[in-house]
Amino acid sequence: MADASKPGAAKGRFVTTTVEVEGRTEQRVVEMPAFEPEPWGADAQLTHVGARALRTDGALKTTGHPGYTTDIRRANQAYAAIVRATVPRGRITAVDLGAARALPGVLDVLIAADVPARTRLFNAEITYTGQPIAAVCAITQEIADAAARLVRAAVESLPFAVTVEQALESGPVRPRIENNLVGGKPLVLERGDVAQALAAADVTITREVRTPCALHSAMEPHCAVAEWDGDHLTVWESTQGIYRVRDNVAKALGIPLTNVRVICEAMGGGFGAKNFAGPHTYIAAIFAQRLGRAVACTVDRLGEQIDTGNRPSSWQRITLGATRDGRLTAIDLEARIPIGVGGAEGGPGGIYHELYACPNVRTRETSAFVNTAAMAAFRAPGHAEGSVGLEIAMNTLARELGIDPLELRMRNFATRDQKKDRPYTGNRLAECYEEGARRIGWHGREATKAAVIKAAATNSAGSRGAHLKRGYGVAAQVWSTGGGPPCYCNIRFNNDGTADVMAGSQDLGTGTRTILAQVAAEALGHTLSGVRAVIGDTASAPFAGNSWGSMTVASLAPAVRMAAEDARRSLLDAAAGLLGVSAADLETRDGRVMVRDTDRSLSFAEVTAKLGNVMIQGQGSRGPNPQDAGIVTTGAQFAEIEVDTETGVVRVLRIVAVHDAGRIVNPTLAESQLEGGIIQGLGFALFEERRLDARFGMPLNVGLHEYKVPTHADMPLIDGHFLDGADPKANHVGVRGIAEPAIIPTAPAIAGAVADALGVEVNELPMTPWRVLGALRGD
Amino acid sequence: MNLSINGQPVAADVPGSTTLLELLRDTLALTGTKRACDIGECGACTVLVDGRPIYACLTLAHACEGQSVRTIEGLGAPGTPHALQDAFVAEDAAQCGFCTPGQLMAAAALLAENADPSDAEVIAALSGNLCRCGTYPKIVRAVRRAATTLRTATDG
Repeated sequence: MADASKPGAAKGRFVTTTVEVEGRTEQRVVEMPAFEPEPWGADAQLTHVGARALRTDGALKTTGHPGYTTDIRRANQAYAAIVRATVPRGRITAVDLGAARALPGVLDVLIAADVPARTRLFNAEITYTGQPIAAVCAITQEIADAAARLVRAAVESLPFAVTVEQALESGPVRPRIENNLVGGKPLVLERGDVAQALAAADVTITREVRTPCALHSAMEPHCAVAEWDGDHLTVWESTQGIYRVRDNVAKALGIPLTNVRVICEAMGGGFGAKNFAGPHTYIAAIFAQRLGRAVACTVDRLGEQIDTGNRPSSWQRITLGATRDGRLTAIDLEARIPIGVGGAEGGPGGIYHELYACPNVRTRETSAFVNTAAMAAFRAPGHAEGSVGLEIAMNTLARELGIDPLELRMRNFATRDQKKDRPYTGNRLAECYEEGARRIGWHGREATKAAVIKAAATNSAGSRGAHLKRGYGVAAQVWSTGGGPPCYCNIRFNNDGTADVMAGSQDLGTGTRTILAQVAAEALGHTLSGVRAVIGDTASAPFAGNSWGSMTVASLAPAVRMAAEDARRSLLDAAAGLLGVSAADLETRDGRVMVRDTDRSLSFAEVTAKLGNVMIQGQGSRGPNPQDAGIVTTGAQFAEIEVDTETGVVRVLRIVAVHDAGRIVNPTLAESQLEGGIIQGLGFALFEERRLDARFGMPLNVGLHEYKVPTHADMPLIDGHFLDGADPKANHVGVRGIAEPAIIPTAPAIAGAVADALGVEVNELPMTPWRVLGALRGD
Repeated sequence: MNLSINGQPVAADVPGSTTLLELLRDTLALTGTKRACDIGECGACTVLVDGRPIYACLTLAHACEGQSVRTIEGLGAPGTPHALQDAFVAEDAAQCGFCTPGQLMAAAALLAENADPSDAEVIAALSGNLCRCGTYPKIVRAVRRAATTLRTATDG
């Protein structure tokens, strides 16, 4: 089934292809699948795919025992705790472990001299507050924590830099770099001629916008439990990538990959911070080997908030040029991002090249290493920050031109993938705008605002409500969500007719298990309860990539479908022999093989029981994406807010979200993820900000009380909607991703609504009461 | 010390510094109650002591001498779920599920006092329970759904 649009279709089995991960483009070798099923088009008649199936692990989660790493209790398990640096930069001259070792119940202590260099643990050179400098292990977590507090390190403090400005004037802030700029120099990307286009523009506007450093704050902290059996190591890890953790651990410890097994049965949230093995992983593994017993290393909440990744802050200066009738002619971004000591991911510039049609775009990002904890991908890294700057500037331009902000966006709809000058497989953003506008009442919003003011004026309670201003905002998003290879799935039938769907993926809470079962049940013609996804264990399932970049479903679903079709062929061959008919006369539905146009049938259980231990199996792999089209999820979100001009408090009343994400395998799970992204975006807009004491380089608000994530009490009404349809050009299941697209437009839509309500802009997030009042005062 | 956990008498020999959370998770391996912050900021360790919702991480085990503790394991099991657990599954009110036991126990305390809570009452009762996946809207729907189920069962 060769397809000329697929790369290398006629060239051979192993070809090089391009995939996009977290906004980056990577070249990879892929294996061409042995066959590709015909795409399920938008009008395909499907039973399980598209159904509102309940989470298959819902009962386990609601009874508290789905198998989190932090709940693992191995026989004789010991517990580790990490000792952390309390200065941003310095050199350790001595470590006093005496008091810690002397505490009853302490089993072992680790410092730099005890660990393989490739773990990079406990470096004598401290480069950020919170850096691990030692670890202790004890018979209980309480004792380990107490012992960690008894470790004393003598540290010679060194000058540090925590802002981009400080870093630009400072020598290297960490080892192994020559200057503090990521990549050695600012990253400049330009198409067209921005300087000329700005000079020729009818109208130009410039805005400066700041976004905060945000913390992932997953409820389950990072945790690893390690146990050795001879020279074989099993690691239970709360992770977004079991295979990557396996690779990291084997490399760091210098042991063969086949000796490492990584398991993640269930995990309590990641959001980008759990993509790799970490210090806790290596500490657990090393202690476990030294002590000959299982060791758990759970990062405590302080460590979780200061040293497991963050979305770095950004400063953005945006200049837009446009014609009088609102066509963008130039987009210019200057950005500064202090990324911490490492972990660079896509910056805010990416979305400026994609979201709106514009021939001249230049982004100049100065990303600097600074003496704070390394950043990590955090749900739509770069785009979530960049969209705030771009969309605030678009609103400013709309006011300058006297054009409705929604109309301005529709006039600049990007019909093509401008980064690579190619079409999209599909992009129905224009429909998202229209559907969202209808749902929020966009075109009647001025009447609603007037009615609110009138109601406040006539309120019998006097002036109550007169200081409450209503506002509306809109923002859009684009994010590459095509997924891609490599990615495999094996399916095997048990001889009671049930089928196991095995893939080396993991379920972060998104519902991966359920989705894989739905796709397999569909392609097999099985019942949903007859299919079980076996994931989260490198020992039992072939490779699947990290659950990141909104690519899990788009990567895995085609591999699962192919494996299911493969298994179904074998099942039909076996059934044909049993029924004395040709396989071509058979079809499958609800776990039965039926002879077409007759009432003869066998259940899968009857077929497999007759086969005994002759096993029906299927193999599937993920083929490459089309190279001649971009695969994106687009969408628009609208915010309706109320701001109190006396207190500065912003309350989000309603968010309408409409996205084009191709085929939705499970609308309930997709809506859950959409709501989750919106709620995190709401936190980014209004509450969340890791603050640093610049004098001491210390994070100030590191608990879940001072670092404010949204609560029940902050919830708006959320109306999340996906356009019906499928994207069969993207892959043969017709799916794209949704996790990251959900968060991107929320904060800028809220910012637009606040500006609409107040008549002044608040261009620094989060829009806390004091920033709102400052903007009202004209600060 | 002696206390009752999920209706069973429990005798435990733990130091005075041991929290109820450590007693449950580490001594008794009742790991359904979660440890997410350990300093009373997130609500993941919410359990009921004599019917009142408390943070197990901020409660000393010895302070529960003679009292009755109810944890998620005592609310219901996969084969015999409580109406709240059924409702959380039906409304997809658990994504990663890590905050879920705490949300459920806070909700159980609410429904014991108020059989027909409004959205605002559910929100007020559960505002000490953080969720990072963003299940809040569905949790409120699930609690109200369970309340309806329980009232119907009582009325019936």
